[in-house]
Amino acid sequence: MTGNNGVTRWAAASLALGLALSTTACGGNLGSGANSGAQDFPGGQPVTIYVGQDPGGSTDLIARALAKGVSDDLGVAVTVENKPGANGALAAKELAGKKPDGHTLMVYNGSLAYITPLAVPPGEAIDIAGYEIITGISQDDYVLVTAPSSGMATVEDLKKAGRPITYGTTGVGTGSQLSQALLFAQTGVTATPVPFDGGSPTLTAVLGGQVDVGSIQLGEAIEQIKAGKLKPIVTFAEKRPSYLPDTPTAVEQGYTIPVQQSRAIFAPKGTPQSVQDRLRASFQKAFGAADYKKFNEDNQLTPNEVDGTKLREQWTASLDGYRKVVDQFKITLGKK
Amino acid sequence: MDLSPVIDGFGVVLEPANLLYCLIGVVIGMVIGVLPGLGPAATIAILLPVTIGLEPVTSIIMLAGIFYGAQYGGTITSVLLRLPGEASSVVTVFDGYALARQGKAGTALGIAAIGSFFGGTVSIVALSLLAPLVAGVALDFGPPEYTALALLGILLVSTVSSGHRLKAVIAACLGLLLATVGRDGFTGAERFTFDNLSLADGLDFVPIAMGLFGLGEILHNLEERHRATPAPVAVANVWPAKADLKQSSGAIGRGSALGFVLGILPGGGATLASLAAYALEKRRAKEPERFGRGAVEGVAAPETANNAAATSSFIPLLTLGIPANATMAVIFGALLIHGVSPGPQLVTQEPELFWGVVNSMYIGNILLLIMSIPLVGLFVKILRVRATLLAPITVLITLIGVYTVNNDVFDIVLVIVFGAVGYLMKKFGFDPGPLVLAFVLGSLLEDSLRRSLLIFDGDPTGFLTRPISGVLLAIFVLVALLPPVRAALSRRRARQP
Repeated sequence: MTGNNGVTRWAAASLALGLALSTTACGGNLGSGANSGAQDFPGGQPVTIYVGQDPGGSTDLIARALAKGVSDDLGVAVTVENKPGANGALAAKELAGKKPDGHTLMVYNGSLAYITPLAVPPGEAIDIAGYEIITGISQDDYVLVTAPSSGMATVEDLKKAGRPITYGTTGVGTGSQLSQALLFAQTGVTATPVPFDGGSPTLTAVLGGQVDVGSIQLGEAIEQIKAGKLKPIVTFAEKRPSYLPDTPTAVEQGYTIPVQQSRAIFAPKGTPQSVQDRLRASFQKAFGAADYKKFNEDNQLTPNEVDGTKLREQWTASLDGYRKVVDQFKITLGKK
Repeated sequence: MDLSPVIDGFGVVLEPANLLYCLIGVVIGMVIGVLPGLGPAATIAILLPVTIGLEPVTSIIMLAGIFYGAQYGGTITSVLLRLPGEASSVVTVFDGYALARQGKAGTALGIAAIGSFFGGTVSIVALSLLAPLVAGVALDFGPPEYTALALLGILLVSTVSSGHRLKAVIAACLGLLLATVGRDGFTGAERFTFDNLSLADGLDFVPIAMGLFGLGEILHNLEERHRATPAPVAVANVWPAKADLKQSSGAIGRGSALGFVLGILPGGGATLASLAAYALEKRRAKEPERFGRGAVEGVAAPETANNAAATSSFIPLLTLGIPANATMAVIFGALLIHGVSPGPQLVTQEPELFWGVVNSMYIGNILLLIMSIPLVGLFVKILRVRATLLAPITVLITLIGVYTVNNDVFDIVLVIVFGAVGYLMKKFGFDPGPLVLAFVLGSLLEDSLRRSLLIFDGDPTGFLTRPISGVLLAIFVLVALLPPVRAALSRRRARQP
């Protein structure tokens, strides 16, 4: 995995070198390239996809799984560039400042669009209205898990615990925190959030019984669930994910608002429609490849390959919906 | 004990790529060990970005090789030129150079190599036995246990280190302060970020280490005047005589034990171990006046101890996720770059990485033993490389390297700032080690403490009722009380006639 990463890095370096050489070769041609319209896109120029997370995480893996297919279709190099920081906000800010020519894209995390704004002061949240959305990618479900030794297996058991519940979250302003905060607010269970630094430490804390329950992305928990070391209580999906058919969803149990991680390809505002269409077509092709489909299955990802307009509707609806319930139950995710 | 992961670990080491990088690591280690000034922490910090393209296990094998390889290299110049290449070989100079002038340079180098090999091997075996024990209770290590560990670590770092104690405490406080930068992970509040998104996740460890150790050390070295290298003493007959071996066997045994223990302690490490082992042998000797005039034990003890300590300092890092010294803090950073968080889970979750790295040390030590003697002449030649050539190249590698880690220009700024800080610290006699260690442990302490209190519902007695955290806190109290009690005792003893 990291080996591949190195390979792409070297590829990127040699590519950059090649690019520099070709630039000198064709002189002033480059400057006009950006505005010459979609007929020319990609015009032999490489495409960079930003990832706002570390190499090796699920967002990074998704970007890399797609890059190859898109590259084959466009006939130019597609490089994944990790710019981790501030839950992806760093990369998003950088993307906003790039030339809207379709050569710089980003895998944008839904949590940054519809959960972070609830946790950070109003001025700091990034509005997705400032970007073009090329296409949706896939959704990742959260599952509420507990260690078998806790003796709890259902939401009813949590209610009957007769003591405050501690729940591990993967951080402030994450779907993990929101999903559990909503569930406990709606069930009337007194519960304390204990934020950890990402999925793996949260998983460890649940396994060791340091916290009673935790909400973790399905792909990260599935192995331990299959091995019987973790018990799934509910998923926060809209309908039961095919990877966990026997676990009820929170919606089935009568609680509103599903919480999912969702991912999409963003481009800087003002990217010409024809370029967007060309890119969307390329991604469609990449989605159709057999090994990409297998990648989704291996990582418990549910495809959500909708177009940009539809995705914007989904995410805006999520933000509005969450904002409403968060206000209703007076949940605080972070400091306002 | 299930031996299959251990055997699989050997399989990992014997992959050609890993063998190659193990060799590269120990050779680089020997080279920088020979060069005075550039230490293993600096070298590993500078090379961090280079490892991004490698598999995690491969890169740690290489970086570890640099660390223990440097312990061998430092000996060579100490013995032949009276020029310690490493801080941990300073005491070797006394008897090593004396032996060399008596025409017994070969004996000194031979004894040092054998002692290093022995000390290293003892530590690896002990590491292999200890790690699974820790892994057995891995899941019992929750936030309260980490709180206690981090507290203990910070205390030891600022009191055990070999330099000036008050300065170490000041550096450690600075490290704790730097650890508070970034978005609060519990409330989302911004702390010292100045609306800079690059600071939202806090200061990144890698540019700090590369700046303080790498750039800072290079800048500081440029200032030192370079004296002409004396012609090295000729080396003949490297295999020590039976009598010499017999005479130093006790020193090698004691050096292994002492080095092992001091290496595990946070703040300890190779330098402290070599000093302590030398002092111990001198105190035990029937004719202490022999020391400084060519006593083989005076070479055997520190060289064995520094290598034993170099190896055993991996124990707290690989089993608990607590770096014991500056070099381990940098290797901690290397693991983080590869998405591996070191801790009690490592042995069970990443057995290939764990056993691959541990077992590579056997191979590395054998390689060093084979190489160190015949290549002595070659390594001495390295000293002729001019600093005016080496420094700019290293600076360039550092600046390009740090950018490749996060693709963030801000990291280059950080490296330069911390390079200046590191230079100033060195100039005024501050060791940057405690700063870096406290920086790493500070975040761990804050996060674990707050998590614990959330879990305990605000009740701090919870720390005492959990067995592991209770014991660790008891040790903390003992260690904190030890120096004043010892001072009081020695005062009383002084009063008695």
